[in-house]
Amino acid sequence: MSVDHVLTEMPSLSKLYLNAAAAAAVQRLVRSAPVVALPTRALEVRGVTADLSKLTAFAHLMGKPARDVLPSGYIHALAFPVAMSVMVQEDFPLPLLGMIHLRNQVDHHAPISFTDVLTIRSWARNLAGHRAGTQVQLVVEVRNNEGTALLWRGVSTYLAKGIYLPGLDKPSPQTAGTRREEFSPPQPTAQWKLGVDTGRAYAAVSGDFNPIHLSVLSAKALGLRRSIAHGMYAASRVVSDIGSPKPDAFSWDISFESPIFLPATVSLHISDTLAGDGGWLGSEFTAWNARSTRVHFRGSVTAGTTQP
Amino acid sequence: MSSTTSANTAASASETASKAPQGIRKAVVVGGNRIPFARAGGAYAHASNKDMLTAALDGLVARFGLQDESIGEVAAGAVLKHSRDFNLTREAVLGSALAPTTPAYDLQQACATGMEAAIGLSNKIKLGQIDSAIAGGVDSASDAPIAVSEGLRTILLDLSRAKSLAEKARVVARIRPRDLSPDAPSTGEPRTGLSMGEHQALTTAQWNITREAQDELALASHKNLAAAYDRHFFDDLVTPYRGLTRDSNLRADSSMEKLARLKPVFGRSLGDAATMTAGNSTPLTDGASTVLLASEEWAQAHELPMLANVVDGEAGAVDFVHGKDGLLMAPAFAVPRLLARNGLALADIDYFEIHEAFAGTVLSTLAAWEDEEFGRTRLGLDGAFGTVDRGRLNINGSSLAAGHPFAATGGRLIATLAKMLSERGQVDGRPARGLISVCAAGGQGVVALLEAR
Repeated sequence: MSVDHVLTEMPSLSKLYLNAAAAAAVQRLVRSAPVVALPTRALEVRGVTADLSKLTAFAHLMGKPARDVLPSGYIHALAFPVAMSVMVQEDFPLPLLGMIHLRNQVDHHAPISFTDVLTIRSWARNLAGHRAGTQVQLVVEVRNNEGTALLWRGVSTYLAKGIYLPGLDKPSPQTAGTRREEFSPPQPTAQWKLGVDTGRAYAAVSGDFNPIHLSVLSAKALGLRRSIAHGMYAASRVVSDIGSPKPDAFSWDISFESPIFLPATVSLHISDTLAGDGGWLGSEFTAWNARSTRVHFRGSVTAGTTQP
Repeated sequence: MSSTTSANTAASASETASKAPQGIRKAVVVGGNRIPFARAGGAYAHASNKDMLTAALDGLVARFGLQDESIGEVAAGAVLKHSRDFNLTREAVLGSALAPTTPAYDLQQACATGMEAAIGLSNKIKLGQIDSAIAGGVDSASDAPIAVSEGLRTILLDLSRAKSLAEKARVVARIRPRDLSPDAPSTGEPRTGLSMGEHQALTTAQWNITREAQDELALASHKNLAAAYDRHFFDDLVTPYRGLTRDSNLRADSSMEKLARLKPVFGRSLGDAATMTAGNSTPLTDGASTVLLASEEWAQAHELPMLANVVDGEAGAVDFVHGKDGLLMAPAFAVPRLLARNGLALADIDYFEIHEAFAGTVLSTLAAWEDEEFGRTRLGLDGAFGTVDRGRLNINGSSLAAGHPFAATGGRLIATLAKMLSERGQVDGRPARGLISVCAAGGQGVVALLEAR
């Protein structure tokens, strides 16, 4: 992370997806020696502001009132093009298309208003073996315009399924942490009816037109049997459902365990942890398929922040 | 034995007394918060009622440190309301930082919604049923509900009940092109077909209110509101939203010349007697307001300010359908009743907040009160009800300048007046008094009396 590169403007996600598709095609033709190290530079974009109409549409899609402050999930969407630019660099060792979102950890340090001018910085870290391929973490930091105050920090863990890089050890099955233990579903506190258009609706408000979320056809082209809900749709929705009575600083963490194939009925259970005086300390959540009881995701929202 | 019994009786009697309402206690205005009002189609064009009410509530919660606080009850409403917003206020509470154990209900009394919310909640506080309350209101003329035509609505309902495919096809075949035109809300009175402006134009002409008098009132509203912003009067009453820091309808540089150039928009059939323009009528507006009410004990326990007491309130209505009175004249009757009940006259009031639906509404009301015949025949008095000192009327501007998001106006008026009364304090050794008068669709009106602490 020693060399930094400042992008002159916010990259366009659609162009990034095209680049990624082109890179995948070239990769297929020219089987060059695999790169096994992450690029050391962090990418940065300055002067970023939220678009009020997109922000409004995003909040409304989550069923929440549109405020002047940005929902935590929306900040991920706002910053995502920078993270994606990191992953489409020529020397990035993993193919972007088909990458699976495993986990997202966010520290929301301070409220961000739609009028705030932001500096967004992203880099990759922790390239590691996984039982099903290779995983990598993308760190995104959102700061004020001067870059002096950290406002939001997210760490996304992605899996390039079926990609094994030389020199990276696969974790042994015992330590892989598959969490496939018996799950007996609790009483749901909510049920989400997700229509086939859930992926497209989220793409429209987040700008993330990843083909695996858009339609059955585009998902099949990338090897999935049907389109799947965007992990960040689920994360944004559950985090805003829980909310935080102390919205100044909080953190959240979500692990995605199985994709939500659309359409779907998702059961959700939220439980609070309270302090001795009844004050809110945090909430845990689990979501599962209402029919098969397979866990889709689980995680927590916690008052205050930690550094992931 | 007998002494034990009597001791028990005494104990249980005192216990009962402590649980029962302690007579009528005081309900106080702690403060208020609203978002700046925006002309329809402006800064809040894509904000929903829920968005704006939540924004106003957020600001109130932040101002008075109500995070995680369980409020006795929250009541608010919207005049133009989507059917999906059936629990608008409760949803806004759930989306706010207030404790989720805060109950809430919606109510609607046209433009008097915010007033009625505050009076009803104050009464609950006075009776000891609740210790704290938030009254509010919101309206969006931009994000108004649009319904499908009555024909299409019937067909769609029949379609949902149809069982077989053939039956469904038969129902769908009933759709005609005319069924596809949407049904937008209007400000027309259902019983007369006249818009509110057309109604007021008739009343304005009836009371011989001149164009100049209306323009003067409109100009004063803009000048007074601008001056109040300039001396930071609204700093603790308004929270910016969507980049707006002042009411977007405010024209600080307005002048009699500019207002005189506008053409009449209402009552044009009256010919030369048409006096109502876009300048002396309120525009369609988006916005939301909230007011924090409490018992004295609750306010003290939470170390919060007490600006004014909500002394009394009164609703009224007139028969406008048969043309007996103007549509917006109900307050002309409600105010005399309210003041008589409290042993007061117009001269005893230090501040008047008379909602400026139209300049003509305010001036017609004042004219009626100054009219001897109206006082005798309609109010049952010996003569005229009295004169409002114009130096005490809407001195920090009102709806002509700020705009009028129907249900949100009551909250704006109460919070503004409470702060004015608190700043004034005592007048001649008694607490300063303020009167609010709000007219409403359907020939209704709600008025209230406040008193400085």
